[in-house]
Amino acid sequence: MKKWTGLSVAWVLFWFLTACSSALSLPAASYVDLDQRVPLPTPVNSAVVPLRVAVAAVISPQGTVESYGRLLEALQTRLNRPVELVQRRTYLEINDLLEQGQVDVAFVCTSAYIAGHDKFGMELLVAPQVKGETVYYSLLLVPDESTANDIADLRGKVFAFTDPISLSGRMYPTYLVKQQGSSPEDFFGRIFFTYSHDQAILAVANKVADGAAVDSLVYEFFLARDATIGEKTRVIHRSPPFGIPPVVVNPALRPQLKLELQNFFLSLHQDPQGQAALQAIGVDRFIPIEDSAYQSVRDLLSDLQATR
Amino acid sequence: MQIHPSLRNLLQRFWDIAGGVSVRSKILGIVLGLVLLLGLGITVQVRQALTQTMAAQLAEQSVSVARDLAARSTDLILLNDLFALHRLLQETKANNQNVAYAFLLDSQGHVLASTFGETFPVDLITANPIEPTAHHRTLIFATNQGYVWDTAVPILEGQVGVARVGLSDTSLRATLTTITNQLLLTTALVSLIGVTAATFLTWILTRPILDLAQAAQAVARGDFTQRVKRWANDEIGELATAFNQMVGELAKADEIRREREILRRQLLEKVIVTQEEERKRIARELHDSTSQTLTSLIMGLKVMESSCSDLNIQLQAHDLRQIAAQTLEEVHDLAMQLRPRLLDDLGLRAALERLVKEWQMRHRLSIDLMYHVPHERLPDVVETALYRIIQEALTNVARHAQARNVSVLIEQRGEELVAVVEDDGVGFDISRIEMGDSAQAHLGLAGMQERAALLGGTITFESEIGRGTSIYIQLPIPKAEENEVENYDFARG
Repeated sequence: MKKWTGLSVAWVLFWFLTACSSALSLPAASYVDLDQRVPLPTPVNSAVVPLRVAVAAVISPQGTVESYGRLLEALQTRLNRPVELVQRRTYLEINDLLEQGQVDVAFVCTSAYIAGHDKFGMELLVAPQVKGETVYYSLLLVPDESTANDIADLRGKVFAFTDPISLSGRMYPTYLVKQQGSSPEDFFGRIFFTYSHDQAILAVANKVADGAAVDSLVYEFFLARDATIGEKTRVIHRSPPFGIPPVVVNPALRPQLKLELQNFFLSLHQDPQGQAALQAIGVDRFIPIEDSAYQSVRDLLSDLQATR
Repeated sequence: MQIHPSLRNLLQRFWDIAGGVSVRSKILGIVLGLVLLLGLGITVQVRQALTQTMAAQLAEQSVSVARDLAARSTDLILLNDLFALHRLLQETKANNQNVAYAFLLDSQGHVLASTFGETFPVDLITANPIEPTAHHRTLIFATNQGYVWDTAVPILEGQVGVARVGLSDTSLRATLTTITNQLLLTTALVSLIGVTAATFLTWILTRPILDLAQAAQAVARGDFTQRVKRWANDEIGELATAFNQMVGELAKADEIRREREILRRQLLEKVIVTQEEERKRIARELHDSTSQTLTSLIMGLKVMESSCSDLNIQLQAHDLRQIAAQTLEEVHDLAMQLRPRLLDDLGLRAALERLVKEWQMRHRLSIDLMYHVPHERLPDVVETALYRIIQEALTNVARHAQARNVSVLIEQRGEELVAVVEDDGVGFDISRIEMGDSAQAHLGLAGMQERAALLGGTITFESEIGRGTSIYIQLPIPKAEENEVENYDFARG
């Protein structure tokens, strides 16, 4: 019996030893109690109200942060006031934010300006001048290998739209399809939205889409940064010139601030920091602009409305 | 080799315990010890290796999940799509069982979305700060729910915020527990097999050894018929064969010894019988013939003395008569010493009384004789042997002991005759006598023992230098059967 006692003692000892080592021992940086929780604090409104700048999703959100970062920094320095970048997936969301006063300044698309101007009096602040011009075009892009030379050749193919109310990305190609006596839904085999122009370019370059209409400014800006895009894509159609996408403000913005902002944009090209910021977004300088610059677009849109 | 005393002490204590248990326990102990040691070693090693590998994997996985989350959340944060962020975090957690938590901080370090819901652990935000330019940073936290591999990944170099993911050690612990249990179970099974095998082995090993031990004990008791079975052709089998050979040889040697012993006994008996007969004959001769002649001579000399008138011749005859009388006395003594007639005629008691008297006279000893035997006469052989033994004992006392008092006790105890001879002399060292230091003394003692042994009795000597000597004699009283009396019929002739 004594023998079995010894045996079981040895066994218990064995279990104990292994059980001891079963407690993990790792070099922990610190101790955190995951169950000791507090309610998340509601964000406190800081004493300084930031200037909220919206950038419409012409290019992807990440690309926008990279491109507009310097410009917003310069603005922050000039105004001596924090500047907050606001982005939304669609142009209409930006328009809504402007209308509700939740955004002070916005870089919007031409068609969004027209819609905002007509709806709640969105005001032009300045417009960018690119390569000496204040116009841009809608470019019909196809993959380089594509045999298509015309919108008619894209019948039954996959087509990428950018934003639902984008002039260059949706309105103009729709207009072209209507001229063929069809509607995009019937004309193209399949349609999808990329919500930004850079994504549409990449969709064509990667042959996800057989065709797309993009903003010429974005396309050229892209070509300048990445030459391979030019090798992978081909422009088969160029639209008549459209008024360039402007910088707009909420009509209820204080006139003083509006003036200050206008001065900032117009003088931006005069100092090296400003030039660098302009270069980052592919703009020569900002210039004042009148609503009349967008008359041709307005006509096109009303044509489109009429045929609907 | 020099061994430290404490180590030697420890070894000695270990051996006291290990050496004290049976072979079965030793083999069981070795087998179990080795199996358990191996099991423990392997378990610990496997656990260590597994922990290291899995910890590294968890760290890697933590980085990849965090980077994936950072990449997928960038646009959602920029677009302020909080619901999509919330869904992304839930999906991240749902798709990866190891994810304990995931959350996103904005560029100011405020929580944008987290898997914790409405509340948030107090110290978690500040627990893993990261430089905006860093690729990622992984830390191991000890938490109340086990270890957590926490990775922080800055989103767009921190301009957008930070993605944080914590991977718990649940799967690691579960795997460790499973593996440990499996290994321990295996060890237990192997131990069980080991115990069975060891028990069987012990049985195989110890059965022939126990057989051998039993047989050896039987041989020690004098049973030379014992043979052990050769169970196997191994060393123990060799031992069994050698043992059987040895027992065979021992049996032969014992047979020879036995025969020699019988021969020796017979020879001794014959010698003693012949000696006693010769003594008796000489004593009788001295008594009957020589004594008669001497008496005649004395009578003649007396006649001559009284009948002769010559004074010279008268004196000479007187002297001669004196000499003849003295010679007669001496012849009497001699006959008496050779074989007292009293022993044959009146028995042991009378013979001993006479012997004692004579010894007292001759050696100036005080001898106290106590004789308590109910029988009038004992068998001749017993009487003769006891007489001779006591005679030898008293001779020794007279020669060596320098004693003043001697007591001789003879009594019957049951079927035994017990005699004790004690003196208050100088004593002697028994061991030295028995070692053959003094050949003659040894021979004397041995002669007494032989006499007693011939009758199936024993003699015990007790002595110490300066404290006297005691001799205990035990003799069985033989039943007076005819053939036996015939055998020992030397006393009465």
